[in-house]
Amino acid sequence: MTASADTIAAVIESGRGTRPYSLRNQEAEQVLNIALALMVELAASNDRIDRLERLLAETRGEPLDDLRNVLPDGDAAAERQAALEAMQMRVMRVLIDPREAVDGHPDAR
Amino acid sequence: MKVRDVQHPMLPETTAEEQSRQRAVVSLRKILNARVRSANVRRFEEEGAPAFAARHGRQPQSPEDIEQAFFESPGYRMWSAVNRSVQEMIWLSVGEPIFRDRARMQAAASALAESPARLGALKLDPAYDPSPEIASVDVHLQPGGYARDDSSEDIVAGAFYETGGNIYSFGQGAGKSDSKAGVIFNLLRSDFPDFTPTRILDLGCSAGAASAAYAAEYPEADVHALDIGAGMLRYAHARAEALGVPVTFHQMDAAQLKFPDDSFDLIVSHNMLHEISAEKRRQAMAEALRVVRPGGLVIFQDVDTRFAPSDVHRVEKNWDTAFNGEIFWKTYGEADLVADMTAAGFAPADIAEHNMEAVSNINRWYVISGRKPALGDAA
Repeated sequence: MTASADTIAAVIESGRGTRPYSLRNQEAEQVLNIALALMVELAASNDRIDRLERLLAETRGEPLDDLRNVLPDGDAAAERQAALEAMQMRVMRVLIDPREAVDGHPDAR
Repeated sequence: MKVRDVQHPMLPETTAEEQSRQRAVVSLRKILNARVRSANVRRFEEEGAPAFAARHGRQPQSPEDIEQAFFESPGYRMWSAVNRSVQEMIWLSVGEPIFRDRARMQAAASALAESPARLGALKLDPAYDPSPEIASVDVHLQPGGYARDDSSEDIVAGAFYETGGNIYSFGQGAGKSDSKAGVIFNLLRSDFPDFTPTRILDLGCSAGAASAAYAAEYPEADVHALDIGAGMLRYAHARAEALGVPVTFHQMDAAQLKFPDDSFDLIVSHNMLHEISAEKRRQAMAEALRVVRPGGLVIFQDVDTRFAPSDVHRVEKNWDTAFNGEIFWKTYGEADLVADMTAAGFAPADIAEHNMEAVSNINRWYVISGRKPALGDAA
């Protein structure tokens, strides 16, 4: 269960004080914070997958390792490969399509 | 009594997903400390100091120079940014379950505090304005700080302190048997073997983990504890009741004790010195000497930053001052505490500093003790 956004907002809003930055670029440090928070979320998701795998193995009465080592073949393998490439295209977008860099600040246009 | 692995009704019920997040934060902190922070001094030497010298035409000398030189190192800046981020995530990872389960926790605390079977007591002082130098800061970024008090039954400050403190300490490598009170039990056994306290005062008790441990260790003793915030103290009292130990909690300033002279055999504080100003520290030492009985002991335990082997290490350890809401961290680390104890009235021969092994890991703790001369002893 995920706590409601309002609960999370209440925790966040009850903190006080400044936020001292360490990097020379404040925007970069905010992106770093987001990446670290996503690492924590990924850990939580991995734990959920692990729980489901264990439950499924137990329900089916088969060893957990067998279940984890089922490799897709045929159509399933092709589907996974396509999904993998699509996901990586989304993630790598900024490198695949770098564009000419221009300053977007109003005084530079 | 264990202090970090206890169960009681004021801990939030935590979902598997929330536990996953907390484990992830603990694990991140362990990796950061063991594999990233551990290289900070090397980063200073290899990156920071040469860059500082190139920029200023001289080597970094003063602590201010050294701090600037650290920030010349990209690796140090990244560690600092990540460490701050993870510290903020500690509080979100424990805050979600606390805020979700808050009404139940608060009701459980009230029931324990009002139970006819209660063993201890809670003495709040509505006239006391919690020490602004502490209350106005989110110490170690804990949301709302030590004196948070959202309502007449609020316990959130205590819940934050205990649950966030566990995440922090496990991330520092502390095991589940970690106990700062246990360090003092070890000191008493080794250095004061004939000393058995019957009246104990715990200064700056926060969520009361050590206070409860003293009551369990010395079941015959009358144990008192104090801190500045009502929310923290309600939690500490209910926690002690849930664990079945008698402790009387007071809302009181350690620098202005309301106990008569010679009231206690043993006065302790755990991690209080680094949370208070130099002025308050000196007052607290003098007050402790006043209310401890002749022959009694005053013992302050705190973090090991004072053992830093060089200025560079010392500055590295001072990170918490600017980045972790620990505004007196550096003040504590660089203070002449023996001089303070002497000025407070302890005789130099009765003061001792101790470099103590932690109970459950390789960390160290700084301890300074003072004994009040027994009646008839020469002062």
